[in-house]
Amino acid sequence: MSAALNGEVSAVSAEEGRPHETSNTIRSFLRRAYSAPILPPTARKPSSLIYNADDRPSIAIALSNGVQHVGLISINLVYPLLICRAVDAPIPMVENLLSVGMIVLSFGTLIQVLRLGPIGSGYMLPSTFTASYFAPGLIAARIGGLPLVFGMTIFAGALEAFVAPMLNRLRTFLPVEVSGLVIFMLGVAAGLAGLRTVLGPTATPVNSAEWVVAAMTLGSMTALNIWAKGLARMLCALIGLTIGYAVALTAGLLNPALWLLVDQAAWLGIPQFGHVAWSFNATLIAPFAIASLAAAMKAAGTLTICEKMNDSTWVRPNMRSITRGVLSDGLATMVAGIAGTPGGVNTSTPSAALSSATGVASRNIALVAAAIFFTLGFCPKLTAVLAVMPRAVVVAALMYAVTFIMINGLQIMMSRMLDVRRTFVLGLSILAGLTIEVFPKSVSMMPSEIAAVAGSSLVASTAIALLLNLVFRIGARKTATLNVEREQIDPQKIENFLFEQGKAWGARQDVTNRASFGVTQLIEAIAETCWKTGKMVVRASFDEYRMEIAVTYPGERLELPEERPSIEQIRDSEDGARLLGGFMLRRNADHILSGIQDGKCTVHFHYDH
Amino acid sequence: MDVVEQLAGSVTIIEPRGRIDSATAKEFGDCLSKLLNAGRHQLVIDLHSITYISSAGFRQLLIAKRSTQDKNGKLAVCGVSGEVKRLFDIGAFGELLPIHPTREAGIASVQ
Repeated sequence: MSAALNGEVSAVSAEEGRPHETSNTIRSFLRRAYSAPILPPTARKPSSLIYNADDRPSIAIALSNGVQHVGLISINLVYPLLICRAVDAPIPMVENLLSVGMIVLSFGTLIQVLRLGPIGSGYMLPSTFTASYFAPGLIAARIGGLPLVFGMTIFAGALEAFVAPMLNRLRTFLPVEVSGLVIFMLGVAAGLAGLRTVLGPTATPVNSAEWVVAAMTLGSMTALNIWAKGLARMLCALIGLTIGYAVALTAGLLNPALWLLVDQAAWLGIPQFGHVAWSFNATLIAPFAIASLAAAMKAAGTLTICEKMNDSTWVRPNMRSITRGVLSDGLATMVAGIAGTPGGVNTSTPSAALSSATGVASRNIALVAAAIFFTLGFCPKLTAVLAVMPRAVVVAALMYAVTFIMINGLQIMMSRMLDVRRTFVLGLSILAGLTIEVFPKSVSMMPSEIAAVAGSSLVASTAIALLLNLVFRIGARKTATLNVEREQIDPQKIENFLFEQGKAWGARQDVTNRASFGVTQLIEAIAETCWKTGKMVVRASFDEYRMEIAVTYPGERLELPEERPSIEQIRDSEDGARLLGGFMLRRNADHILSGIQDGKCTVHFHYDH
Repeated sequence: MDVVEQLAGSVTIIEPRGRIDSATAKEFGDCLSKLLNAGRHQLVIDLHSITYISSAGFRQLLIAKRSTQDKNGKLAVCGVSGEVKRLFDIGAFGELLPIHPTREAGIASVQ
């Protein structure tokens, strides 16, 4: 009886324990994925920010900001829409594809803000459809229809996820100015592809009413962006689209038969996946691979913006966080292809700018934005309205979007000091891309192997830039050496040496400053204890991607702590300055290594350039 | 390194000029100690004329901060920008040595 009773009791406990364990597991999962702070403990909130990533604003603030972000992102729906138009997809199908797209945006936003295993940066960075995949997507749509677009999108997403951990190492082959060029050419190719749908030789001629609608749409978006303030400025694209629809309706450009389809669309409905089929075409590997790399670099850039925005003590990009973010971006694009969305997704740079402008960068906003996308995915009426967008409105919206992409690309290119090598790399590559756009028949005169690559302006310009970049690296590395005697340490002389060399090599001032601090702080830290006699050799080398400093001295290794020594250690210990110096040296360089051989210690400093 | 001292009521403003490194940090620390021992317990250190500060300089700032607290005084840092601000950042001194944007703000914070 007693045993039976015990048995019953234990059975009840086990039953009660399961829900308890489950709730604990869920709680622990949520803590890891969402509640745990993502900013480093040393981070300080900039004065311009009201809510940083880890702050939790009120529901009202989260909702209003979430709506603003979704409104801002809505303009990029023109990319999947135009790809659907390229294959003459029927309106109900377009409506369904856009609904699926909304779900994908929700998924992409969620996996970016949640940290699931190695995925997700945790930052407030919603997903958006991107121009990166627009030009290659149009080519794929024309060659193999939507299944080829979906299949190649999966390939592009997988490639982005694959390169995510290697981004830092790829810098040598894919330097900043070439990423700027790729983004610029993406804008050019997307803009011209859009214009070709209305002005190309096979397009239906544009009538005067369409010119008026396009002018009103683009004009209102631009005017609101320049002169409006507050919410009107934030939502200028959405307001411009609404004005475009209104003018198109007045001008009779909204086909009543199509509008009837909007009328018939339900307010609530579940997206269908019956359209999904995938195919693959090896000749499209190059354009999609370049688009994928562009998306990865753009995501890395946007994540860097988020890091800087959230931390006034930001020193350099956190590659672990960026890798997680780019990985989730690639996975979201893969899912876009798998789910049958015409085009890949990317982190939204305008959203990062909006967070900076409003001072609200809380991760809660991303959750709200994801919830809104998800809800919109179940509202066929709304996606039907988007699906029947008059082409004058679509092209105007595209012009608005690509303007920012082109200028963004130009800004990235101009952020580098354009020496003769880079001038040739960029100038010749842009010219090659424009040649393909202006003289498309020139491709047929090329050998077939080259023609396969040169068929797209984006691929041609990128391929030439990558090739020239590699060729022009020959002879780019320069070195200089300085000897320092233990008895004659002169910090000013060491600084002068590095500054003069940095200037002669065209190194950025901030990099030279870091290198100079590294050497002088090292000498200070080792002079008392580690380096007691003999000669120190400072060997500096530089190419356009890095500055390397190797300091060799007879003596012992300096400790380079990863954590800052405690305040008591710094203040009260005789070794305080040395320990702090080691910590600062580690933080000052992008990479630092020290080793001993034959009684000589060498400290290698690496600074990205 | 030179150190210029100024008075603003009960507040002493110290403006070091040049480099604060292992060669000059002790001199800088001695100067601060002398002021504290002389009863000047409200100190504003204006670093706008500093071109370089090493770990030895930061150590002196932390020692001075502790000494002022021991004497119920206050110490503020201002005039930090550019490369020196970057060094404050890599040393992660944000909370230990709060930086005031102007000398006036620094004076107000120690009064």
